[in-house]
Formats: sequence, C-alpha cells, structure tokens
Amino acid sequence: MTDESSSHPNTLVDHWVAPGDVVLDLTNMANQTLKLGGGLRQECDAIIVTKAGRFKFSKPNKYWVESSQKRYVPCVEDTVLGIVVDSKADNFLVDIKGPTLGFLPVLAFEGGTRRNVPKFEIGTVLYLRVVKANTGMNPELSCTDATGKASEFGPIKDGYMFESSTGLARLLLSRPTCPVLDALGKKLSFEIAVGLNGRVWVNASSPSTVILVANAIMSAEFLSGAQQRILVEKLLQRVQ
Amino acid sequence: MEQRLANIWRMSVNEKKFIENALLSDHRVDGRRPFDYRRLSLKFGSDDGTAEVQLGQTHVMGFVTAQLVQPYRDRPNEGTFSIFTEFSPMADPSFEPGRPGEAAVELGRIIDRGLRESRAVDMESLCVLAGKLVWAIRVDLHILDNGGNLVDAANIAAVAALLTFRRPECSLGGEDTQSVIIHQPEVIDPTYKEEIIMGGRMTVTMNTNEDVCAIQKPGGQGVKQSEIMRCLRLASQKATDITDKIKKAVEAYDLERAQRKIRRHSSSSAQAACGADIKMSKQVVDVTQKKIDGFKIQSKDPMNQEEVESDTDLENSNTRGENNSFQQVDEIHGKMKSVNLFTGRPSSWHPYGKGITSLSTCTSSVALSAPRAMEAEKKDTVALERPNESKLEKPSVEATVDDSHTKEMSASVQQVNQKKSLKDAVKVKSRKKKKVASTMVGE
Repeated sequence: MTDESSSHPNTLVDHWVAPGDVVLDLTNMANQTLKLGGGLRQECDAIIVTKAGRFKFSKPNKYWVESSQKRYVPCVEDTVLGIVVDSKADNFLVDIKGPTLGFLPVLAFEGGTRRNVPKFEIGTVLYLRVVKANTGMNPELSCTDATGKASEFGPIKDGYMFESSTGLARLLLSRPTCPVLDALGKKLSFEIAVGLNGRVWVNASSPSTVILVANAIMSAEFLSGAQQRILVEKLLQRVQ
Repeated sequence: MEQRLANIWRMSVNEKKFIENALLSDHRVDGRRPFDYRRLSLKFGSDDGTAEVQLGQTHVMGFVTAQLVQPYRDRPNEGTFSIFTEFSPMADPSFEPGRPGEAAVELGRIIDRGLRESRAVDMESLCVLAGKLVWAIRVDLHILDNGGNLVDAANIAAVAALLTFRRPECSLGGEDTQSVIIHQPEVIDPTYKEEIIMGGRMTVTMNTNEDVCAIQKPGGQGVKQSEIMRCLRLASQKATDITDKIKKAVEAYDLERAQRKIRRHSSSSAQAACGADIKMSKQVVDVTQKKIDGFKIQSKDPMNQEEVESDTDLENSNTRGENNSFQQVDEIHGKMKSVNLFTGRPSSWHPYGKGITSLSTCTSSVALSAPRAMEAEKKDTVALERPNESKLEKPSVEATVDDSHTKEMSASVQQVNQKKSLKDAVKVKSRKKKKVASTMVGE
C-alpha cells in the first residue's frame, strides 16, 4: 500500500502481521521515543512482531499488536471478571482465566479491615482490577480502584456469565458503542459487565432476554456493523 | 496443586442458578427448545471407515479398522467387534491422559452394548475361515472436544464410520441405532454446562425398527414411569431423524468417493467419446465386471496402455457396486459432445448423436462410461486417419477375460486388428451396429 492513512510513514499500521515481521526500522527514526505495547519486541535497530494480529498505532508514539485469543494474559490496570476458587487467611484465590490463579487480598475492599472481611462462597463472580501482573507470579487483584473507592468492583449477583475471546471483550468495551450493544439497547433493557479476560456477565428482568442478549453478543464478534444490526433484528423478530 | 486448580473450569454460582431457573420456564441457554438437537455435521475422511461428527461444540472422530485374528473357541464362525474410546486431554481440562476414567468406560460400554444388541454388525459375515481366521473389527473413538452429549456424538461417529468401512472383499453395514440422553427438567442433547448441573441422565438406544436395544440410567434423580415412556417415544423419533441424516451423509460420501476415482481416470484420458454411450445404454445399473472387461478389450488402439491401466482401476471401483449420479454422467456427456465434432466417421457410428441423449437419461455407472468414453475417443481419433481400423468388436467370448490378462489381450488384439482387412472390419462393425440398433430401439 503506497498511500499512508493518517499521515503515518509506516506501511504496516492496521495490517495483519505475523511473528517475525519487522514493522519499524529505528535507523530512520532518530531522536524519537516510542512506546511499545504487547506483541512487539526490540532487537537492535528493528522492532519485531512476536504475536500474530493487527498492528496498531495511536498518536503520538504508541505501537502495539492486537489479537483475539481465548487465553488471557494478565496486564496491570485491566478490569476482569473472576470466579472465587478458594479463600485463605490473607487472600482469596480467584480464577481469572490466566495461566495462574490471582490473589485478591482480603483487605482490598473499600473500608476493608480485619474485622469486616467479606465472605465469598466458592463460585462467586467478582468484578476486579489487576494491580500487579508479572510473568511467572500470581497476579494481584483488588476490588477498589486506584484511589481506594469501590466504584462498581466487587461481587456480582444473579445474571448469567459466559466466556468468549479477548477480542470480543475489547469490542464490547470500545468507543463508540459497538453496534450489537447499540441495537440491543434500543429494544431491550439489560445490564452487562465485561471483563478483559474474555468473560461477559449479562442480567435482565426475564431469562429469555438474558439468553437473547448473550447469544447475540456471542455471535457478533466477527460480524461487521451492519451484519450485527441485522442479527439483532432477526433475533428480536423471532422472539416476538 | 495450585496449577491444577487454575486449570479446572468452574461454573459460577450465578450461572448455575440462572440455567436452572431458565430451564424451569423451558428456556435453554443456547436458545434451543427442550427437545431440539444441535446442528449435526458429519464429515468423512479420505480412508474408508473414518468419520468426524460435530454436534454443536462437541467433536468426535471415529475410526474403524479390521484385523485377521483367531476366533473365540465357542464362536468359531463369528468375527469380533470391540470399541475403544480415547478421551483426549485437549477435549476437556478434566480429562487426564492415561487410564480411562469412569466416564470414558461408561461411554464405551453404552456404545458397545447398543451396537451389539442391535446386531448392527453382522458377525457371521466377518468369518473368513471357520475356526481359524475371522475379522476383528475395532472401532476407535477419539473425543476431540467436549461440548456436552458425548454419548450421542460418539455413537453417531461409530455408526457412520462402520457404514463407510469396507472390508477388503465386501462392504459392512447394518441397522442404525441412536442414543438419546435426557435429563431433568428433561432436555435432549445437553451442552457442557447443562451436563454439569444436571441431576440425572438416562440414555436410550433404539434402532430404526423402534426396538429398544439398550437403556442406561447410572444413578441420579429418579424418573417416573410416564416420563420413561415419553423418553422412549422421543428417542424413536430422534433415532429416525438422525438415522436419516447419517444415511444421507454416507450416500453423499459414497458418491463422492466414486467420483474421485472416476475423475482421476477421466482426466488421464484425453477426452470422453461417444462410443461409450452405446454400451452404456445396454447396461443396467449394476453391471458385472465381466461385461466391462469385454467391452474394454473390444476397442484397442495403439495407445492402449493407459487405457488398460485405468480400466482396471475402474473395474475395482465398480466391483463395489457404487451408484453414480447424473453429475458424473453430465461431465462425461459434456466431454463427449466436444469429441462428437470430430465424427467424420462411417455411418455405423452415427448413433453417437442418439447415444448422447441416452446418456443423459440413464444412470448407468460412470465406471462404465469412462472406459467406453476413452475407448471411443481413441476410436474417433484413429477413425479420422483410418476409418477402417480399430472397430475391433470382439465377440463377447472375450468378456470373460480378467484384469491380469487384459494387457496381453490388448497386444494380441492389436495384432489381430492390423491383420484384419477392411472387409472384416466392416463386418464386425455391422454386427455391432445391429446390436446398437437393437439397444437404441430397446430404449
């Protein structure tokens, strides 16, 4: 492609790249600071792709590779949905679909002290934030935001949770609102919680609405905007 | 220990409650009605006796192999039949490699009993030498993905693989059976999540004659008598449905298998020709091998070798008595049309024009048409140069020649051809013409 979009000199932006591709040549870019996100590695003067996906760029200097997988690799400041597996003295063991279980300190709640430690039964769904995530170590989680307020983190009641890929989760959280959520929201009332680890929780007043919303979202990952709207229309027609 | 904890898939409390509540009002999480099956897709492998079943997310492969063994002492003229299941760890995090767990053994038992009790495999036909050698059929079922309802998927895979398996001499087949799994509040074909929360399950194996071959209910919640009867009725319905699907898929596969063999040979020959039509019109769908041989030899050309080889292959495929479709006929038909342009032949071959239309109406085996086509084509090309030669109508005496002799025959036939004079050729042609005429009339 010879024409650059968004006046960027690099031709591989927004293209699919595979591991081993050289996407940036640092010899041409002197005196620039670049921020490299996931999927990229620096080797001497070249930036090489390590994960298959779409090569993305955001001004002024951020590059990363975006891909969709069923596996989740914990990253700091991600919001995820976890399931409680066990409770220990100091922390809860929470499954966040990563390579290891996450630790949720017993005190990581708004106004949490040793006296009012919450009790979660095994299988409770929690909306959490990842505080520390290093390879090889269990990630540390928290039910508060960076300032210490609860702000919607914590246990989630009722509803239905299903698992899908990380790409779908990012699609659902993107701005502007993803077309399938838009179309569903116009006709139905429901609430959803999306975890960046690929888990989505849906709740509505009747089970049939929940099932409809869940199935619409699950099928919408690889559809274009128009297709998503048509899908939602068809599903709604069938119900009525 | 902690790594194992991390790898286990868990169901959250919310999901469990939700699925149960939804089922109380007859809503299933994937939008199905309580007695709907998921979409079934059946694919076959390149070898005979391999089948791949996808029932929603559940993915199972079945392989059938046969080995010659000594029979059991108390059943000297019956073959043996055994099922092996392999629960691959990639199917489910709870499957461990190594010794089969309880679920794997139970699955194997259900399928084994179903196929054995329904007499799906004819044991006596597996006998080669009574008391000494029999075929031991072994069905291997590999679970590739556990999306719920492994029993049904594995059963379909086993049946489909058995239906497409060919023992070296003759084909294997039998009645079709179907297992139905039902659980409270009673749904069919549970998904993975539904299986986790279900309180009990019952498996019914029935065949298409509505005989119950086997029932399995391993513990769990009790079921009322009326519910059992309802399940049996449902099972017979679903059994016929699924058996139909399996049959259609197997038929399509058989056609495709035959097509593959034909296409390979048709492409090796230059073009199809019309002479075949005349022969074809004589043929009934199940033509015997001997007749084919006879026709093959009748038209030998200098460029015989390829023909002979490909003919033998076609014969082999023909012995299986496969039915062929219009598609193949049309393919040859098209080719034949193109060759027809070259007909500057003696009038005896004019019936080619008729022959083509007869082609489109008769469903004779393509195996036949291809050799005819090739022979006729060669005939055509030779005819352009020397209209006298190559109409070597050998009388049906040669029909009894078998494969091993064809090459020799072709050589001798060629010589005979060349020695023959124009008169002879004409005579022979006219004989054939009469035959042709009669068949044309007979049509």
